[in-house]
Amino acid sequence: MKGRTLGATGALSLLLLAAILASLALGDANLSPGTVLQALAGRGDDLARTIVWDIRLPRTLVGIAVGAGLAASGVAMQAFFRNALASPGLLGVSAGGALGAVAVLAMGGAAVSIWTVPGASILGAFAATGAVVLLARRGASPEHLLLSGVALNAIFGAGTSCLLALSAGQFQVSGQILFWLMGGIENRTWEHVWIGLPPVLLGCALMLPLGRSMNLLSLGEPSAQSLGVDVRRLRWQLIGLSTVLTALATAVGGVVGFVGLVVPHLLRLGFGPDHRRLLPLSMLGGAALVLLCDLPTRFVPGGVRLGVMTALIGGPFLLWMLRRNPC
Amino acid sequence: MLTAPSLTAEALTLGSRLQNVSLHLEAGLMVAVVGPNGAGKSTLLQVLAGLLHAHGRIRWNGQDLARIPFLERGRTLAWVGQESHAEFAFPVREVVAQGRHAWGDDGQGVEDALAALDIAYLRDRPITQLSGGERRRVFLARALATGAPLQLWDEPAASLDVRHGLEVLKLAKGLAARGATLVVSLHDLRTALCFDRVLVLDRGALVGSGPPEAVLTPELIHSVFRVQARVAQALTLELPS
Repeated sequence: MKGRTLGATGALSLLLLAAILASLALGDANLSPGTVLQALAGRGDDLARTIVWDIRLPRTLVGIAVGAGLAASGVAMQAFFRNALASPGLLGVSAGGALGAVAVLAMGGAAVSIWTVPGASILGAFAATGAVVLLARRGASPEHLLLSGVALNAIFGAGTSCLLALSAGQFQVSGQILFWLMGGIENRTWEHVWIGLPPVLLGCALMLPLGRSMNLLSLGEPSAQSLGVDVRRLRWQLIGLSTVLTALATAVGGVVGFVGLVVPHLLRLGFGPDHRRLLPLSMLGGAALVLLCDLPTRFVPGGVRLGVMTALIGGPFLLWMLRRNPC
Repeated sequence: MLTAPSLTAEALTLGSRLQNVSLHLEAGLMVAVVGPNGAGKSTLLQVLAGLLHAHGRIRWNGQDLARIPFLERGRTLAWVGQESHAEFAFPVREVVAQGRHAWGDDGQGVEDALAALDIAYLRDRPITQLSGGERRRVFLARALATGAPLQLWDEPAASLDVRHGLEVLKLAKGLAARGATLVVSLHDLRTALCFDRVLVLDRGALVGSGPPEAVLTPELIHSVFRVQARVAQALTLELPS
């Protein structure tokens, strides 16, 4: 299994590298890999350097943050709830983030500053996180948290729908809201990179050492505690890291569904449930999936958004894997 | 194996599930916990293991359980619950190796534990593909792999066939002979007769404690279980020597 894990890590790293290169090279102006590498090194012509450094590199780095953050969050949620169908949006964090962003967009706040939409999204997501933490503090069981998540999702979703309906007459605003709700990483700037990437990488780094304890937790809370895991602390760590990662990913990428659900699930089918392997593989796989799904959105105008692509590619792939490898 | 701590519980109370239960168990004893459904057997085991919080106090070797760090608890005590559901397809060997978590995953005793529960041939099978009885044996093997001298098993033989039920009993006896303390909840009162000590629970209260022949009297059995007990010639099942 060790050789297989190394092979998988190598293959996914290569896939991510290829996705990064493609993300930097392809778009309205296609650049050759050589031109991209030259531009990255600060050489070559000015136009290529501007395209790579000011447009595509921020977009790519934000894509990495969104993909790695959502996939890691999905792994944590699935271990926490001991259910392979759990996803980062389960506790209402992304719905909270969406409501925050939509509220600002509906009020025309997007034009004020580049920070307003992601800032409002983080506020909304953290408000949802706060509600989750308040519930968790009372010693809520996973089932209790799950149902609270359903309620929070419904409340935030209702708020978002209401704002969307109110903005229906304003073509530009409702368009902005819809685009944000479908997720996307176009027109991202270095500010978005700074909001998203360093904290997501930090969150992922903090989650990696928890893999061993997550293995025990995923086979039952009391038994994990009897084997020496501080389950209460681990639950806090998983809820905290997972919600913060989801909040950050939503703030810079909008609502991107399916990555947190499908990436851990696929990799678990392929390489087993050991979280020490699953966490790093999912981070690499999530980042690669988001970058690859972002590519078609550059060439097909209109409705093909990142969130649409992740579902269109991830869904059939999951169905194919399930046919090959029934659970 | 470490030396088993003595186990003392003082006035354990948890709503109506446990009512003022006090007990003291010396090391190296095989203790059966019996009682009708809902009497509090599983609750008592979980409270003694520190997995459920109840009013009262639990001490291992005189030390307050609440003050013992989790890793040390993991080295000293192993608990096997009744639930054997598994969502994720961990291979059997990995599950048993989890028993060494508190020892830094050193893998010691894992092979012996697989052999002792007769599951070495299942080592690479995903736990999700096993039957209920096989899973129960995997979780017992994990408890055994901990090397913990205090073993708390909640109805370990509930889903096992006759032979494996007897094997588990033999295993328990072997552990007790080496100085471990076993606290095992049971439904079969005839099996409880093989234990050193029996605790009888009824509606959360401890109504009997002591050697089985002194405790399991027809009067107590009738008052707790509402059945008539009489001694008769019966089918006996043993492992071949």
